[in-house]
Amino acid sequence: MFDDTPGDALTTVCEKNVSRREFIKCSALLGGSLAAASYLIPLMDGGERGMAFADDLMGNAYTHHLPENQIFSACQQCNTQCGIKVKIQDGVVKKIDGNPFSPWCMTPQIPYTTPMTEAATIDGSLCPKGQAGIQALYDPYRLVKVLKRAGKRGENKWQIVSFDQAVTEITAGGNLFGEGPVEGFKDICTLKDPGVAKALSEDAAAVAAKKMTLEDFKTKHAANLAYLIDPDHPDMGPKNNQLCFMWGRLKDGRGDILKDFFGKALGTVNTHGHTTVCQGSLYFTGKAMSDQFIEGKWDGGDKFYWQADTGNAEFVIFVGSNPYEANYGPPLRIQKITEGVVDGRMKIVVVDPRCSKTASRAWKWLPVDPINGVTGVAMGMIQWILENKRFDARYLQNANKGAAKADGEPTWSQAAWLVKIGENGKPGKYLRGSDLGAEIEKRPRAKAEDGEWEFDAFVTLSNSQPVLFDPNSETVPAEGELLVDTEINGIRVKSVLQIIRETANARPLKEWAALAGIDPDDIVDIAKEFTSHGKKAVADIHRGVSQQTSGFYNVLSWYTLNALIGNTGWQGGLSKSTTYDRMGSRPGKPYDLGKIWKKAIKGWGVSTIRHGVAYDKTTLFDGYPSKRTWYPFCSDIYQEIIPSIGDQYPYPIKALFLYMGAPVYSLPAGHKLIEILSDTKKLPLFIVSDIVIGETSMYADYIFPDTTYLERWEFAGSHPSVAPKVFPIRQPVVAPLTETVRVFGEDVPLNVEAFVLGVAEKLNLPGYGKDVFGPGQNMTREEDMYLRMVANVAFGDKEDGSDKVKAASEEEQQIFDKSRKHLPKTVYDLERWKKIIGPELWPHAVTVLLRGGRFQAYKDAYKNDQLANQYNKLIGIYMEKFVTTKHSMTGKSYLPHADYVACPADCTGKLIDDKSQGYDMTMITYKTITQTKSRTSGDYWLSAVYPENFVEISSHDARRLDLHSGDRVKVVSASNPDGVWELGFGSLIPMIGKVKVIEGIRPGVMAFSLGHGHWGYGARPVVIDGVTIPGDARRGAGFHANAAMRVDPVLKNTTLCDTVGGSAVFYNSQVKLMKV
Amino acid sequence: MARILPGEDLLIRMQRDLKRSLAADMSSIKWSMIIDQAKCAGCHACTIGCVSENKLPPGVVYRPVIEEEVGTYPNVRRRFLPRPCMHCQNPPCTKVCPVQATYQNQQGVVVVDYTRCIGCRYCLVACPYSARTSDFGEWYTTDTPDAEGKMVGRAKASESYEAIPATEYGKQWPKRGHGSPVGNARKCHFCLHRVAVGMLPACVTTCVGRATFFGNRNDSQSLISELLGSPRVHRLKEELGTKPSVYYLQ
Repeated sequence: MFDDTPGDALTTVCEKNVSRREFIKCSALLGGSLAAASYLIPLMDGGERGMAFADDLMGNAYTHHLPENQIFSACQQCNTQCGIKVKIQDGVVKKIDGNPFSPWCMTPQIPYTTPMTEAATIDGSLCPKGQAGIQALYDPYRLVKVLKRAGKRGENKWQIVSFDQAVTEITAGGNLFGEGPVEGFKDICTLKDPGVAKALSEDAAAVAAKKMTLEDFKTKHAANLAYLIDPDHPDMGPKNNQLCFMWGRLKDGRGDILKDFFGKALGTVNTHGHTTVCQGSLYFTGKAMSDQFIEGKWDGGDKFYWQADTGNAEFVIFVGSNPYEANYGPPLRIQKITEGVVDGRMKIVVVDPRCSKTASRAWKWLPVDPINGVTGVAMGMIQWILENKRFDARYLQNANKGAAKADGEPTWSQAAWLVKIGENGKPGKYLRGSDLGAEIEKRPRAKAEDGEWEFDAFVTLSNSQPVLFDPNSETVPAEGELLVDTEINGIRVKSVLQIIRETANARPLKEWAALAGIDPDDIVDIAKEFTSHGKKAVADIHRGVSQQTSGFYNVLSWYTLNALIGNTGWQGGLSKSTTYDRMGSRPGKPYDLGKIWKKAIKGWGVSTIRHGVAYDKTTLFDGYPSKRTWYPFCSDIYQEIIPSIGDQYPYPIKALFLYMGAPVYSLPAGHKLIEILSDTKKLPLFIVSDIVIGETSMYADYIFPDTTYLERWEFAGSHPSVAPKVFPIRQPVVAPLTETVRVFGEDVPLNVEAFVLGVAEKLNLPGYGKDVFGPGQNMTREEDMYLRMVANVAFGDKEDGSDKVKAASEEEQQIFDKSRKHLPKTVYDLERWKKIIGPELWPHAVTVLLRGGRFQAYKDAYKNDQLANQYNKLIGIYMEKFVTTKHSMTGKSYLPHADYVACPADCTGKLIDDKSQGYDMTMITYKTITQTKSRTSGDYWLSAVYPENFVEISSHDARRLDLHSGDRVKVVSASNPDGVWELGFGSLIPMIGKVKVIEGIRPGVMAFSLGHGHWGYGARPVVIDGVTIPGDARRGAGFHANAAMRVDPVLKNTTLCDTVGGSAVFYNSQVKLMKV
Repeated sequence: MARILPGEDLLIRMQRDLKRSLAADMSSIKWSMIIDQAKCAGCHACTIGCVSENKLPPGVVYRPVIEEEVGTYPNVRRRFLPRPCMHCQNPPCTKVCPVQATYQNQQGVVVVDYTRCIGCRYCLVACPYSARTSDFGEWYTTDTPDAEGKMVGRAKASESYEAIPATEYGKQWPKRGHGSPVGNARKCHFCLHRVAVGMLPACVTTCVGRATFFGNRNDSQSLISELLGSPRVHRLKEELGTKPSVYYLQ
């Protein structure tokens, strides 16, 4: 794992100022050992440099290549989170390049043992947004002091207030805006006693489960009913839940601090991320598919997904994913694709209505219909593969772990499991041993104190005989027949693969092709190719698949297709992300960081977005449909947070804290949020952490300026296509531009951590202050948490410490300190940092910090044709849980397997037909590589390349509509017939863009790229302390048409949504283009 | 059998090639660039990487990427053409310079001596590849607000990323507005300031698709020499006889 090489000593010798003859001697000594740490000939010093060129043109003022002028960190211009190497001069960021230690920036990356003196001269690749990060840091419109609104919400009139005043007002409440009393955090978060919380929570659950009457509950808890939002519905939880925390881009470390602050210290259950605006249904299909059979229940699924092991696949179908422009692609994946395609390893297919840059390099570009197209292709392929017996039968026959192990397969599936068929012919629950008269076995639980559980075997058919098996048994392998439709003991049963086969056979192949809008021969061609590379073929799917009203089933169909060749966990197949542990709860780790929450309460109750719970299992159940959709199988449903506040369902929210989010700009139909955010009755207190006044933060009561990604900490995590185990570190590289504030008696930069610490101090919350990690170990500054996490990662994941990284040499420790000399004491203090980590681990932590994280070697990520960081679990393709759970809008059970589900549908499943009303174009969006949705419009280098976006249509439609490139058109839709954003106070922004006629788009489809057409973020004037600060037109160039996306006709204040996987819908809206 | 994984990124090989050339006879070096259009992802990282490396002002771009669409639906693809200075071996631009400020250096790189350039712009017109632009002294931050004490403001932004010129040609140039390179003709110089310390040009290292290659074409062991043996090699406007040192793979 750790790349130890003998090269270091030699390098040290060679690094000194040596003559050229000595160079050659050193090189000879190293011989051909290029893998050794010093595989580049050391660079020449200044004197020799001048001589070398023998040209008086050249000077030697360039110093960016010296290690003391560099800090390695992680980018956040988008969520690819590439490694970066930041070059600093006089305390200012001068240049940003890719981190050569990071697998994001080089394939393979340089060995982890490469000395910093050498790594300093090697730049990895970085995309244009990453290069322009300098302008995000030094953005003239960045906020530096706390703002409080001085006018009405959204009027964009502000006053500067002190940090202390703002924190005091937010915690204490009062008549803060001269509009009447507002409750502060102290009034909302009243339940603090963990014992009381536990007792209330358990009995509230009993009431919801009808195991306790409401009367008994009220009698028993009479003294504590005041803590509840509604004593008549105790399962809604405590009033603390009326504080809601929502976030946009938040990664580990900072995520731990914020989520624990709201969820544990303040005790609200309402901490919700933004997953569904990105690719929620992808994540939550992954969660459903990763549920395992644990002690009698389907449970333990992870919110995650898989991507192609891009650098080793021989055939990849990119479906609704565009790694050349977005999709965690550049620089992580592009190199692997270009080298693969051009140098002959790989062939790719792109399924996308638009000829993306990725499609430009594809063997086949399939311009599918955005409505129902991607499932049409999947169903057609499944049909062809099953009917032509091109699936991996050996893999699919494995019904349990033992059978998979015997075949050397990392995973197994339910393909051969038998399912009972109901009288209506629909598949239901699995056939179990008890159905065949077998005895139910009592087994002890993993935790002995929890007693026993009842094991009822699953059944497969082998040699026409039912075979009972345990899915998790490693010792008794079970294999079964794949295409079964029979009766056993009078029970009609089918195998899971048979059910999928019948689903795919619901239409002939040419009808699936017609649904997709492509040639059936193309489906056959790609199905053939997909099944011609063993495990090295893979379908890599993303937003185009998930952001539809049928997102969950689209994703499940494509992942089922991958399951047919059993490519998960294989080199060149499906891969998942793996990171080093930072929390330290395992034995042997230096710091157990979770222990500080022992005295905190555990948040409980139904969340405001009604996730993870079925409607009919709560006290709010009052027949179907429910007032708004409930989401038993997903979380972080971004488009539901503010609209639920608007409907005060299931209960009112009193304060909302938004971190690094731009829901008004980024969500489909985001315009519907403006009215709710402007209403101080429905949302009495709205606090935002932002770096600039954006389209959403302009409606805030308080804006707390944050530090940018170049001034702060965070741990960037990984992506599924990254096969090595990693832990990228974002750390402060320059002095923060925000003001300095005081918390717990310490000077710290104004940022979101300061907000957390400030509130914690005022309210005396548990988990903060002196000695919380142990005597002399405080939590009074941000790095108290972050540095301990770094120490945990430097230590590694083996109890005996054998996974620890090598200690930094004395020289590297000096480089570390020198490269941070420009940082102020509020951020960096060598002695303080050393003390937090401890003298023993400090040199090891320096190794990790210097390299911008910890990265496993590329070659060590693969073993025997498989991924070293394995999944090793059941791949679920038939979700029994879905059969037994009811949809809150229909009262019907959920479909448990891959299938074609028609789009676009409202939240009750009813199809929407705007096309027949004259809305003749389907609108889709995409990401250009130069823009992130909401935070790059101030990067002027980027706008120089691509100043504005366009209404992109095909030449076919241009002729039909008599439109030409350069014409201006207004985008209107059934739910926004005026084609405008209403900002309040009479301010209207029409959605008018310039037409660009292209060939590379399916006729009937209109596309626009996201990131332009801003009205906040410095595009329009704001008033601070009575002074008008003018806007900059460059930041508002182009247009933004999200407000034309379809509003759900039933819910009326949010976008169309996948009610199963939670995705906000970007690709199912019909629009009309009106020439202006 | 496990697949053979790549042992090193091509950037590492090219950097090793470069250092080998620097360590040998300097006079035998002919720096060249190859751009593989099939590998170019049209990402513009090179354009912005160059702008950032050389702190180029509005209107000055050394390495644009030209995008075009070819074909008719559904038989359509997009093509990208990164266009640095061609560093012609027979450069038309140097011949028209009245003060010999621009010339081909010993390693075949067409350079501009800012201290001699009088800004006449003859060379801009002479270049058949439009590879030269004039620095009119513009600023990206001109129209941004001062907003002193309320926001970061214009002064801080411009001081941080515009006021101090990059160390092109390894030299520290005066603060922007007080002389060269404002008023001069500006162009790609293969990042000689980086090459001098053993580093590849910024457009090469930042190339996300690994489509840009750099090295000494007189070194037969170098990757660039290997690639020059490809039947896909061509040069832009070969018919003009300019003999570019920048080659393309189609």
